[in-house]
Amino acid sequence: MTYDLTVIGSGPGGYIAAIRAAQLGMKVALIEKYNTLGGTCLNVGCIPSKALLDSSELYHQAVHRFAEHGLEAEAPKINFGKMISRKGEVVKQTTDGIAFLMKKNKIDVYHGFGSFVDKNTIKIEGEESKIINSQKTIIATGSKPVMLPFIEFDKKRVITSTEALELKEIPKHLIVIGGGVIGLELGSVYARLGAEVTVVEYADALIPTMDVSMGKEIQRVLKKEGFKFNLKTKVDSVKVEGEEVVVKATDKKGKEVEIKGDYCLVSIGRRPYTDKLNCEAIGVKLDDRGRVEVDEHLQTSVDGIYAIGDVVKGAMLAHKAEEEGVFVAEHINGQKPHINYKLIPGVVYTWPEVASVGYTEQELKESKRAYKSGSFPFRASGRARASMDIDGLVKVLSDKETDEILGMHIIGPRAADMISEGVVAMEYRASAEDISRMSHAHPTYSEAIKEACLAATGDRALNM
Amino acid sequence: MSLQMTVPAVGESITEVTVAKWLVEDGDTVELDDVLCELESDKATFELVAEADGVITISPDAQEDAVLEIGALLCTIEEGEGAPKAAATSESAPAAAASEGPKATGEVLDMVVPTVGESISEVTIATWTKEDGDFVELDDLLCEIESDKATFELTAEAQGILRVIAQEGDTLEIGAPICKIEVMEGDAPAATSDAAPAAEASASAPTSSNSTYATGHASPAAAKILAEKGIDPATVKGTGVDGRITKEDAEKAQKTAAPKKEAKKSEAAAAPVAANPEDRVQRREKMTALRRTVSRRLVSVKNETAMLTTFNEVDMKPVMDLRKKYKEMFKDKHEIGLGFMSFFTKAVTVALQEWPAVNAYIDGNEIVYNDYADVSIAVSAPKGLVVPVIRNAESLSLAGIEKEVRRLALKARDNKLTIPEMEGGTFTITNGGVFGSMLSTPIINAPQSAILGMHNIVERPVAINGEVQIRPIMYVALSYDHRIIDGRESVSFLKRVKELLEDPIRLLLDV
Repeated sequence: MTYDLTVIGSGPGGYIAAIRAAQLGMKVALIEKYNTLGGTCLNVGCIPSKALLDSSELYHQAVHRFAEHGLEAEAPKINFGKMISRKGEVVKQTTDGIAFLMKKNKIDVYHGFGSFVDKNTIKIEGEESKIINSQKTIIATGSKPVMLPFIEFDKKRVITSTEALELKEIPKHLIVIGGGVIGLELGSVYARLGAEVTVVEYADALIPTMDVSMGKEIQRVLKKEGFKFNLKTKVDSVKVEGEEVVVKATDKKGKEVEIKGDYCLVSIGRRPYTDKLNCEAIGVKLDDRGRVEVDEHLQTSVDGIYAIGDVVKGAMLAHKAEEEGVFVAEHINGQKPHINYKLIPGVVYTWPEVASVGYTEQELKESKRAYKSGSFPFRASGRARASMDIDGLVKVLSDKETDEILGMHIIGPRAADMISEGVVAMEYRASAEDISRMSHAHPTYSEAIKEACLAATGDRALNM
Repeated sequence: MSLQMTVPAVGESITEVTVAKWLVEDGDTVELDDVLCELESDKATFELVAEADGVITISPDAQEDAVLEIGALLCTIEEGEGAPKAAATSESAPAAAASEGPKATGEVLDMVVPTVGESISEVTIATWTKEDGDFVELDDLLCEIESDKATFELTAEAQGILRVIAQEGDTLEIGAPICKIEVMEGDAPAATSDAAPAAEASASAPTSSNSTYATGHASPAAAKILAEKGIDPATVKGTGVDGRITKEDAEKAQKTAAPKKEAKKSEAAAAPVAANPEDRVQRREKMTALRRTVSRRLVSVKNETAMLTTFNEVDMKPVMDLRKKYKEMFKDKHEIGLGFMSFFTKAVTVALQEWPAVNAYIDGNEIVYNDYADVSIAVSAPKGLVVPVIRNAESLSLAGIEKEVRRLALKARDNKLTIPEMEGGTFTITNGGVFGSMLSTPIINAPQSAILGMHNIVERPVAINGEVQIRPIMYVALSYDHRIIDGRESVSFLKRVKELLEDPIRLLLDV
């Protein structure tokens, strides 16, 4: 078979690129090594973790808040097996949805391991081997969790995010190595279900790529929920001893620390996954961090081969991969789309959620840009008090001279949904005053954004 | 101490410059007389040097390619030690002033019709760009003034409230009052500030749309459409809030360009192979100020003169023989090569003395004759054509002309020509021959009345005394303004140049 475009990897970047290319009239093939489509995000990432986060959040509410709401009942019993199987059902519905979309768009799906024979020939090794030809190819093979040599990774007690979504029991004490997005989200799941959670982080703050006030606030909130944090702590070894995991580390004072738990989640990052793709043999260059090198059109060093998502530079986010998928599909069809990488929001689905877009305060300080800052705490929001979600704040950073919004950082209820307002505003280069002069429905969480903008405009928040 | 550096006044007729290149970066420490940036006007490129030691802060409006008016802020130099600290305080000071808004000083500035040229005695107010009662900033464009020669702009000499005196269409004498400005102190009211003067200013200026940092910003969809159409967003007028470019604006911008494209498309449809769109990239660049001026002037010359061209041919053998014979000797003595340019220049100056109309120009109802020959030479410089002048070429020796040509050509190559070096020529010589041109009709270099075009030298069979001989021949062209040069004069002039070149001894004997 000969295709106009072949996409290797069916994650959110790959399947979206395939659909967009099909919409534009191309004959498209999609190769996926797993049995289900959707990649990490749908199978072992965003979607299943959100399913468990919501289940555990409901339980947490029932145990800790129902009484205050005037709902008196015995605390619900956890059927963890059911919780995991419901998550599986959500994943199945979602991945089935992708399979349907592929049919609808007349995209040929090949299940098997794709690798390059040459720039226009791809070998697929599955139940039977096939060779297909393609004018153009998109590498969308995503990423895998990083493991370190001194960690005894057995996938049973010492696990990655993938296994953490499929546990048979609720850990008694979960040790989380790495205080980034994945660690905090999955840590939250089990903390809410009653596990003791200890986070070990090498840096001096949580979610270090986000604005520093976000990391501080989330640390404060999670501490209240019972998280223990060991920041500036370097893990030296992780060993499994029977039913126990022993983590040995060196803390900020140089003292040795020993933490014992029954499970250890290693979430120290993800690496681009290009294994056995045969990239280098056909001339597709990788950079020193194993990422596929691409130009401004996301084309690799080989003409006609593109790469998107986690496998290239930039944030490892599903929505970033989606934008890149659409970008490449349109670009190879002669259109001239553009991605504003500065305006791809980052989100953490803890509760409160954390979401952020644009420049952080640290970045503005470093670039010596004159800026104003305005914040508004959810404590002062009527809507947030009604739902007892009073933790967190909205922080808006705007240019000192022009008032143009340069960054928006939210930690609070539904922050991940609300950040879109910041993205829209910033795509149109709105000023903080612009937002503060737009009507926001009352009572909503989003009023906090308006109030933060008022504060940034001239310290004139109205409800504080 | 902080020193503000502004665009210097660089010549009478120059009102704006383009920032070509910054040689220092924001925050760099510079020393007195360090070259900071290159500025480009429609006439020349010049360098801006630091007027003090210190740390430089480049004005956000003065980035590369920005077009700035004379007097506009280019950068600030923070003098002395501890500069960054001082910068911070000086920043906060004007901000504080801004919050208070501008204050009237009680001073009223009268603005009158400026002297715009020697022969101009009266002007007409063409259009007011500001209205009576508007708040104007220093150097804001107030109105356009027309004279019989050109249109120029009147800019505010102070900031304050504008009081218009002369109305559009009024004819005024030089020195007559145009408007008054009630001078105000303090920063201009910011668009976002809710201080009272801001409201007042915007209320009294309903026609002028707010220009902000976001003016001309294309929405994501608009940006994609413009990119695909190859339209520079800077050329699209945004109708969104504060001049943002909406999707509709981008679509409309596409429509104006559409008819041509459709025509092309139908041709392309007939082509057997559809070209890969990636191979057909269009590139758009802003015209430089120099290029804009050249284009404007060339068109105006074509429109405003009665230009035509006469041709002749020159047998170059005698000059070439002479050159061959004396090349070494000439070089040893004068330390410069003997080229054709000196012969042509010399021949032209002799002919100009004999046919003074070719060396004259029209000024209003008068003809101005020059009894000297300042010969402009067209030189292609990195940024485009420039035309430096050889002064009093009639009194220079051949060696003197060659030296002057070399000096000017070198300066042109390095963009170092000054405006005085390019002004005031009375006749121009252009040599398309260096690029291989056989024949062309050059355009007059206004306000001059004639231009001589040299071309390539080609061996051609010619009839000499009834015999065919192979001779190195150059076609020469003389474009001239028929309004003041008659056919007899132009043809005779060119024939005279031909004679002098075909028998260079005549230059010596003056016959």
